[in-house]
Amino acid sequence: MEISSTITETEPQKFALPVDSEHKATEFHLFSAAAPHMRAFHLSWISFFSCFVSTFAAPPLLPIIRDNLNLTATDIGNAGVASVSGAVFARIAMGTACDLFGPRLASASLILLTAPAVYFTSIASSPISFLLVRFFTGFSLATFVSAQFWMSSMFSGPVVGTANGVAAGWGNLGGGATQLIMPLVFSLIRDIGAVKFTAWRIAFFIPALFQTLSAFAILIFGQDLPDGNYQRLQNSGNKQKDKFSRVFYHGITNYRGWILALTYGYCFGVELTVDNIIAEYFYDRFNLKLHTAGIIAASFGLANLVSRPAGGVLSDMMAKRFGMRGRLWALWAVQTLGGVFCTILGQVGSLTASIVVMIVFSVFVQAACGLTFGVVPFVSRRSLGVISGMTGGGGNVGAVLTQLIFFTGSKYSKETGITLMGIMIVCCTLPIFLIYFPQWGGMFCGPSLEKIATEEDYYLSEWSSKEQGKGLHQASLKFADNSRSERGRRVHSQTLSSNATPSANV
Amino acid sequence: AGEDKITVRWGLNQSLPAGTDSAYKTIKVQLCYAPISQVDRAWRKTEDHLSKDKTCQFKIVKRPYTTGNQTLEWTIERDVPTATYFVRAYALDANDHEVAYGQNTDAKKTTNLFEIQAISGRHVSLDIASVCFSVFSIVSLMGFFFVEKRKGRKAQQ
Repeated sequence: MEISSTITETEPQKFALPVDSEHKATEFHLFSAAAPHMRAFHLSWISFFSCFVSTFAAPPLLPIIRDNLNLTATDIGNAGVASVSGAVFARIAMGTACDLFGPRLASASLILLTAPAVYFTSIASSPISFLLVRFFTGFSLATFVSAQFWMSSMFSGPVVGTANGVAAGWGNLGGGATQLIMPLVFSLIRDIGAVKFTAWRIAFFIPALFQTLSAFAILIFGQDLPDGNYQRLQNSGNKQKDKFSRVFYHGITNYRGWILALTYGYCFGVELTVDNIIAEYFYDRFNLKLHTAGIIAASFGLANLVSRPAGGVLSDMMAKRFGMRGRLWALWAVQTLGGVFCTILGQVGSLTASIVVMIVFSVFVQAACGLTFGVVPFVSRRSLGVISGMTGGGGNVGAVLTQLIFFTGSKYSKETGITLMGIMIVCCTLPIFLIYFPQWGGMFCGPSLEKIATEEDYYLSEWSSKEQGKGLHQASLKFADNSRSERGRRVHSQTLSSNATPSANV
Repeated sequence: AGEDKITVRWGLNQSLPAGTDSAYKTIKVQLCYAPISQVDRAWRKTEDHLSKDKTCQFKIVKRPYTTGNQTLEWTIERDVPTATYFVRAYALDANDHEVAYGQNTDAKKTTNLFEIQAISGRHVSLDIASVCFSVFSIVSLMGFFFVEKRKGRKAQQ
């Protein structure tokens, strides 16, 4: 049987950053925009940032929009839930699209297809049209999945947590930045001479245009993999086109994906919920001005500048020493502490204490998000997109559920809701105990002592022997080799053998 | 809003003893939300404590108090939202504290209410711009796909 050669094209490519055998970068240089790795990073966080800005552009302008469109508090609440629920399925669909078509086309398509919803926000004229535009704009939050997928395709194990954490953190920043940007743009337009009810409409063109331009940038400057785009690689035979049903099946049957979907619902989902309720909480409980409450609300989202990346960095640091087990322990510990601080936030009664506790809470909850995506890239290689999509979608489900249970209607006061949310975070983080990788172990168990527990066995189990016979599994083989770093310091004399040995003669 | 005018007339109730209005220095006439427009809208809530009260959010006029009846014709401003309203006049003393009030409806705010229709804020030019940019986004996406497919076919040859 002819051994298929390595994935590179005929001449060896030169990369600006050091790379592994899959040509994924092994270092992360934040201030570089070198193609293809760092360029993909910058395109990815900027476009994700623009989607967050668009999705949460309405909340800071609600005092004007609610009078223009004659909204009730119920209308506003429903639109808020709608804005995060669209992305639940969009994220899963996006994951599959990335596996099949590549992150570049998948994300640019979604961004350009949801841009009309943002443009149409300018012409909304009723509670229903408002809800619809918020719902469809919210779909754009699925770019999170393509951003993570792209980073996981461009960056190798030792830095993938960092790359994912910074890309997602700086993207999430959009939710905080928009609370400052939109009122500013609105005032500018109103001062130029427009009436309030027209000025907010014009203001929406800014996030809409930003979104459109970022999609163009991805299409023009981005590429899916270090070696090129999916379509070109598929046409030249260097990348095999995979089957949707197989990709989907291997994703949804991996229990680790479901556990991470649940736990992500209780870090990222909580973050989205807090984005929606925290301004009102401070405004009502401490009688602040809306403007002041808005700044406090923005600071929760702005903490993402450092806290989510810090989670990613921590994950990579733990992996260096303790491997995957370290990543899992760090995730559980940080997210549980996030839950503890959330409970405390609901209990404190003074303004200063609340602000301090809120900031500490935000750091832990956002770091937990970063830590989650230090684990996700290793759950599956074939169905990376589906796993990323499930986890991401789970985040939004958490947001919808938490808002519905604790923050709708008058059953719980906001402070009781926050306390109960904290307790729920702690409980829903416990399932991390159950995540186990045969080749690396889990939180409480070491790696399997049976002879067959290697990285190759784990990743090749996603390919049937027929598929392996056709050589479709080569990329997974390379990944398995590169993922040996997840053993922690025990990896020493492992010679990183050439990837051309198919152990698939099973 | 923006076009129509309302005429407001106010004056001291003549059946009150003389001298009741000795402290009145200024009159502030405001446009206030009727209860039906306050339902499910906490930002328009009526609170007894006047500094927290959000019932009356639009100032019609504020002028020095004079005895005798006053009239004013007020063009409704363009940022007044669609709702049901009544008019209330507050008498303020020298320290700008409310000392008396009157309104054109009864104590339960059920009679003599009127509706105001807001401007939509939309303009034809905005509508056209929204549609054009949206169409442009979709068409440019299709354009990119087309170019990609062409490049792909060329590479295969």
